[in-house]
Amino acid sequence: MPRNGKLVRIILVLGAVAVAASFAVTAASAKRSAGSLKGAGSSFVAPLVNAWIAPVNSDLGISMSYNAVGSGGGVSAITNKEVDFGASDAPLSVFSPTCSTCVQIPWALSGTAVLYNLPGAKNLLKISGAVLAKIYMGQIKKWNDPALQKLNKGVNLPSTAITVVHRSDSSGTTFNFTDFLSRVSPAWKSKVGTNTSVAWPAGVGGNKSAGVAGIVHQTPGAIGYADVAYSTIAHLNVFKVLNRAGNYIIPRLKNIKAASALDTHPAKDGSLSIVNPPKNAKYANAYPISTYTYVDVQKNSANAANLKKLINWAVTKGQAFGPKLIFQPLPAAVVAFDKKQIAKVR
Amino acid sequence: MSSAEVRSLERPADRLRRRRVANRAMELLAWLAAASAVAILVIVVFSVAKQGASALNFDFLTKTQVPFAPPNVHQGLANAFVGTLVIVGIATALALPVGILIAIYVNEFARPPVRYGIGLVIDILAGVPAIVIGFFVFGLIVVAHGQSGWAGGFALAVLMLPLVSRTTIEVLALVPNSLREAALGVGAPRWRATLGIVLPQTIGGVLTGATLAVARVAGETAPLLFTSSLVTNNIDWNPSHPLQTVPVAIFELSESPDPADHARAWAAAFVLLIFILFASLTARWLATRSRRKLGRAAG
Amino acid sequence: MSTLDTTTDVARRPLSGRRAHLGDLLLQGAAGLAALGAVVLVGLIAYKIVQGAKLSLSTFGLGFITHVGWDPVHLSFGAGSFLFGTAITSIGALILATPLSIGIALFLTELAPGGIRGPVTALVETLAAIPSVVIGLWGILVLGPVLRDHVEPFLHSALGFIPLFGPPNSAGTGIFTAILILTIMILPIISSISRELFLSVPGELKEGALGLGTTRWEMVRGVVIPYTRGGVAAAVILGLGRALGEAIAVAQVIGAFTGISWNLFNPGNTLASMIALNYQGASSGLELSSLIYLALILLVFSIIVNIVAQLIVRRVAKRQGLAQ
Repeated sequence: MPRNGKLVRIILVLGAVAVAASFAVTAASAKRSAGSLKGAGSSFVAPLVNAWIAPVNSDLGISMSYNAVGSGGGVSAITNKEVDFGASDAPLSVFSPTCSTCVQIPWALSGTAVLYNLPGAKNLLKISGAVLAKIYMGQIKKWNDPALQKLNKGVNLPSTAITVVHRSDSSGTTFNFTDFLSRVSPAWKSKVGTNTSVAWPAGVGGNKSAGVAGIVHQTPGAIGYADVAYSTIAHLNVFKVLNRAGNYIIPRLKNIKAASALDTHPAKDGSLSIVNPPKNAKYANAYPISTYTYVDVQKNSANAANLKKLINWAVTKGQAFGPKLIFQPLPAAVVAFDKKQIAKVR
Repeated sequence: MSSAEVRSLERPADRLRRRRVANRAMELLAWLAAASAVAILVIVVFSVAKQGASALNFDFLTKTQVPFAPPNVHQGLANAFVGTLVIVGIATALALPVGILIAIYVNEFARPPVRYGIGLVIDILAGVPAIVIGFFVFGLIVVAHGQSGWAGGFALAVLMLPLVSRTTIEVLALVPNSLREAALGVGAPRWRATLGIVLPQTIGGVLTGATLAVARVAGETAPLLFTSSLVTNNIDWNPSHPLQTVPVAIFELSESPDPADHARAWAAAFVLLIFILFASLTARWLATRSRRKLGRAAG
Repeated sequence: MSTLDTTTDVARRPLSGRRAHLGDLLLQGAAGLAALGAVVLVGLIAYKIVQGAKLSLSTFGLGFITHVGWDPVHLSFGAGSFLFGTAITSIGALILATPLSIGIALFLTELAPGGIRGPVTALVETLAAIPSVVIGLWGILVLGPVLRDHVEPFLHSALGFIPLFGPPNSAGTGIFTAILILTIMILPIISSISRELFLSVPGELKEGALGLGTTRWEMVRGVVIPYTRGGVAAAVILGLGRALGEAIAVAQVIGAFTGISWNLFNPGNTLASMIALNYQGASSGLELSSLIYLALILLVFSIIVNIVAQLIVRRVAKRQGLAQ
């Protein structure tokens, strides 16, 4: 055979070896190594879950990995049993199709911040839900619009155009944000509504919370919404949002804690909403867009033992990692409910 | 006076000058066009090189991703490099033999109408956008069996198939018929003649096509979003798990607010570009080498 | 494309009856299976996409194609705004890329001094090798800010009376950025095919014209371009096909906005970028099916574009074959 014939044979053999090798590797690691869990979902809770990876490894011997694909992606992943746990900021009842065989457990508590990028604005600016709704409907287009200026007397707002930033993917954060807007603006409620993904009347879309924070970070004059941890990650200011008590509040731990006093007893399906607490001395300093976020687990899980260890740890010891990232530790009543929910997993 | 009469009053020398000026102007535009293309390429490659080189260090090539980590934590994209290696390897192992077999059928066995038909099918396959292929593999494999490196490799193989087939068909057609007839003349059966004599003549061209196809799919993102995106952050060689890949990593990092993530994206783009340029140069060298060899064989 | 079509070719026709070796049968079987597999694959792709889109097809029918708006809350979806986005970005890219590509091809075949012809050809083809995600990365981090800070305000102040060049937004992303990115991506395709076409023009025709005293530009205009007109048209259509299907780079720079806006500096969305950004965790089965419906529309367009280009190429090849 000519010289090239040998080359052909060598290539064929190498190819066969490569294919055989990958089959061998597959067979060898066919069983997921004891003590590894895979999760996907909400980018809202991603900073906290990622902070848990190292301590979970050392405390529980479980190697956890988490993919912040967004709440929608997380719910579909757990519905299709592609992961061990899904994380979502919106309750399962909002999604369709949804995971009807899942247990829903509120495992972290934080606030949805309204981020903005306005160079030259020194102190944090104030905003109300009604004005925010108008901005997101495209009715208020410039920073020095009288409505915004009225809320921020004494600040010289520039005539820069407002770039509205929202999520382009299916997001639990969107659900909580639009839920708040629907409650404070009847126009928003009828025109756009509440969902994990809506028909945005205006603005630019970003992929996952990181994408939204990224666009706001790059764009002078932009406004966006994401978990408050992203304001630190992206070095962005947040608005002081008007609550029903008449105070302008930023999402700090004590303000989220005040909002959580509204309700500490999750519904039977595990969902718990503390958005927009009413006018009451107890909630004077409550941040109006405080949100619980959930972990969703199949009732019959292959990795049930490890999952129970993980979630039990997460709602107790794991909460200690929260405050640094502005996640308020769960109220005792919620933790008690969670433990009962976890017991349902086998 | 009509314009024709005006024109005819123009001295020949003036008309010649006008035509020369027009010629000069178009030549200038053509130079500008070429210069702008070169400029764009230089700007893009320069951006990638400059930004990427600063983040390119040993950690980057050997450590894995640690999302949301403070800046002092060492991280890199080793998991993405490993994943790309595995998935592109699977794609090549699937597409190369099938592509060559299709080319052998079209060129050595098929009647002209069938040849035309399969050629058309391959051209249609080449025109399917990568994102539609992603949805296809998603519906075919991922819905039932979940994401995996195999699904990702299969999706990339579908993208590679038309490229490999087309180049192999072209190179096989260049082999002179006299060679085939000579082989049959000495009594070799068809399969021996094809695999042992005709195909080896074309190995250079086949490898060229294969290398170009690999270079093309190494940077494909869309199909991998559907088939291999729910990944762990460890270095994983197992294709039955979804594996992180370089293009998907670049896509995710490019949208982040963290400048350190951007730096890693640039560095990954830099490595990817170097790999692709190296592959293209190899393909070009193989092509010249095989063309020279075929020229010698025919002459 | 094979130019050897002789059926009397003993060496290259299907095996005949008795003298077939076992090895021959195996090879023909395996090769035939592979070829059949390719056909089945294309059919399977079409089938799977139609199957996935069935829910949306039955809910919205053909009205989906013109309906503008994507509302997951009220479960009303439509392809209208994405068709608009795809059209405006692809056509914009073609308008910019075609003259540039032809200019480059003419430069490389007529004007380039021997020394730089090779390197410049290689450089232009290298542009084709850059993956779309890298161009998208460059678009977000380098091109976007430049457009936002300098180019768009300039264009708006100079040409603002045309609605296309309305007020720029401050994000640096948008339809205009996407058009520029797509231009960069389809430039190498059109120019390399055009270059080969221009090289194939018979030397005698060109020298004949020059011998009559035409300038080089007049020769190009009178001989080269008419001779290659069909092929260049096919190249442009292939470039269109590439622009239609580009999902990732466009998704990175277009700003993900659903709606119709004639202002190029506004964000938008194309069929491909909408699919790329939204398929993960679509909030309802109907939304996922609608996204697959978008993929179906994209598939149909791509196939039509490809077949048209191939038909033109075949017609041109036949005509040139006759001419010789």
